[in-house]
Amino acid sequence: MCSDQLLDELQAQGLVTPPQTEAIRHDEHTRPFSIHYEVRTLLYLGITLLAGGLGALIYQHIDEIGHGVLITVMALLMAACFGYAARHRVPFSWGKAPRAGFLPDYVLLLGCLLFLSLEGYVQYQYGVFGSRYGLAVFLPAALFFWLAYLFDHRGVLSMAVTALASWVGVSVAPLSAFTDNNFRSLSGSAIALGLVLVAVGLVAEFQNWKRHFSFTYISLGANLTLLAATAALLNFYPNTWPSAFEAGVLILVLSGYLVWYARRTHSYLFLLMGVVYGYIVLTYLFLQLVDASTFEATAFLVMLYFSLSALGVVLLFVNIKKILGLYHAR
Amino acid sequence: MPVKAYNPRWAHHQAMWAAANSWQKRRLLTEPQLAAVRAAYPLDYYRPNIFLRVTLFLFTGIGTLAGSGFLGLFLYEGLFHNSSSQEELLLVATAALSAAGCLFILEASIRSSRLYHSGVDNALLYATLGWLLFLALYVATKNEPDIYYGGFLLFSPHITVALLLILALLLAATIRYADRVVAAAAYFTYLLFLANCCLQLPGGRLLLPFVLMLASGGAYLLVRRLTHRPDYLYYKPCLTLLKALALVTFYLGGNYWVVREGNALLSDALASSQIPFAWVFYVFTATVPVVYVVVGLRRFDRIWLWVGLLIVGFSFFTLRYYRSLLPPEVAATLAGSVLVAAMLWVARYLRTPRHGLTAAPDGEEDNQKFNLESLIVAQTATVPQPVAPGFQFGGGSSGGGGADGSF
Repeated sequence: MCSDQLLDELQAQGLVTPPQTEAIRHDEHTRPFSIHYEVRTLLYLGITLLAGGLGALIYQHIDEIGHGVLITVMALLMAACFGYAARHRVPFSWGKAPRAGFLPDYVLLLGCLLFLSLEGYVQYQYGVFGSRYGLAVFLPAALFFWLAYLFDHRGVLSMAVTALASWVGVSVAPLSAFTDNNFRSLSGSAIALGLVLVAVGLVAEFQNWKRHFSFTYISLGANLTLLAATAALLNFYPNTWPSAFEAGVLILVLSGYLVWYARRTHSYLFLLMGVVYGYIVLTYLFLQLVDASTFEATAFLVMLYFSLSALGVVLLFVNIKKILGLYHAR
Repeated sequence: MPVKAYNPRWAHHQAMWAAANSWQKRRLLTEPQLAAVRAAYPLDYYRPNIFLRVTLFLFTGIGTLAGSGFLGLFLYEGLFHNSSSQEELLLVATAALSAAGCLFILEASIRSSRLYHSGVDNALLYATLGWLLFLALYVATKNEPDIYYGGFLLFSPHITVALLLILALLLAATIRYADRVVAAAAYFTYLLFLANCCLQLPGGRLLLPFVLMLASGGAYLLVRRLTHRPDYLYYKPCLTLLKALALVTFYLGGNYWVVREGNALLSDALASSQIPFAWVFYVFTATVPVVYVVVGLRRFDRIWLWVGLLIVGFSFFTLRYYRSLLPPEVAATLAGSVLVAAMLWVARYLRTPRHGLTAAPDGEEDNQKFNLESLIVAQTATVPQPVAPGFQFGGGSSGGGGADGSF
């Protein structure tokens, strides 16, 4: 055992007392093996499989299964989920509520997913919302925000943000840059929504209203704004807000802010986002400005730019401790 | 020059910090004791947070690529401008100089900035090895007759030497730098080398699955032996990954889908047909995942458990590929219900530890994990929505591409 050797070494140096050594050794050998994260992962996989499967099942067999039966079964299942979650709810507070175990969290998530399936189905079959489609998308967003704050649940919060974004008409899924996302006509509203989310995250952080929600707000919001602004920068859509110039300035400002925020809160995902998007804008700017007469000269300049700028970024980060004097790696 | 590029003490200190932190979290060490351990084992190297490492890796990669491009342009302008016949020489010269340059910067930066798998040194190492591999392949295949380019390269006796060269290079790099990606690449080169040798024998295609399984088993035993070495900590990340890879390749070697489709690929068949000894592979496909999960739970080995859980999924995929028993949405619903019910039961059953297992987290629940989980939910938790006539989301999509019925 490796931990035994480390322990022996500590004892030899007199950093732990012999009884303590025995206690630690005993703990290392008898402590039960935790399969907590395995169970959680499988549970989440099961929930998404179940909700996705049920959702697909409804639309494919819509004429074969009785509507009433399906709706009843799903509504009962949903009610059971919400009931179970409510029974294990801890009282509301603006801080981080203590957890009552991880099962109620996932059951609540399943209930929310079932609500989405059910709502879509009811609207499809009976048209309860008529032609007020905005309401049909806004309702889950409102419900999920309420549930997220009531149950102190970050997963439901990100579902609420997703629903809110689809009400505006865009996708906030973190990898949506690689799937279809229509920013052509919506870059303005996507940027606005993203900025609102970042602002909400900031308020949460500084007013201490569910401070632990700020990561979800800021990561989803900043990513949305930066993606939409980059799309606006790289493609010229005439007569839309923002123009390429405004988008570039916005990205630089937001990137700078993210870098500052990352250093403040030690959330280095934001640092990665800020640096990468900022670099994209600066590179774009350079490529627009570079105007050499021959192909060779242009190639030289571009290669020189990339190698030197990358070197600069790397040196800045490796030596940031010396430069700023107050840097913590962990 | 020492064999190891990094100071072996760093790995030792890192392990001590991790152990002391976990003991302190479980109230087995006091705060002052933890501080004393930290003072006695200082972490005086540069290995930042994962996201910073990714940033550094990206920019070092951009920088080295652009640097090599700059070098190539420079050589082209300065030396080869007038002689168009020497393009190959230009390429070789660029590769050799780039490799030498990257290697020099790698060694110098480890020494001066005390980098320790910090993203910068990883990128420089991969760049060095990439150029060296290019050179090795170029030299080994330069005199190869053109006919082999038409056929399947794995049969060719001409790449045997190249594979051996690459394997030696990657092994040397692993021993010096203890990098996980390089170790994995070395392992796959070793398997490719064996496959290449095997396919040159008569009847080698029949033997290939068994050769790969034996090779994986051998690699596993070797890894287990290496964990008893005194410098185990320096190589711990590599050996952990290799252990997982050996388990995976052992399973894939006996997986029915891999054997059948691989057989079709090697014999240039358009559609795969039934393979000889099919029942052997049925048995392997069905039993190996179960064995892995059971061993993982009984011997408290997370690697066996994780690999087992992953390949359970792959075995179901294999089954569904040839026998589609249920339509996908029914299968997803059923599998989801079974998984949810089983995990609810497991969580309740293990509320008090039994059989040495517990469902409670090992120590404090990590705030970072909750944050990342919320991003995963934003990416995957979408339900297929109907698109009724006139039902418009304003042109957007309703979420990510997660649960789109492909489960």
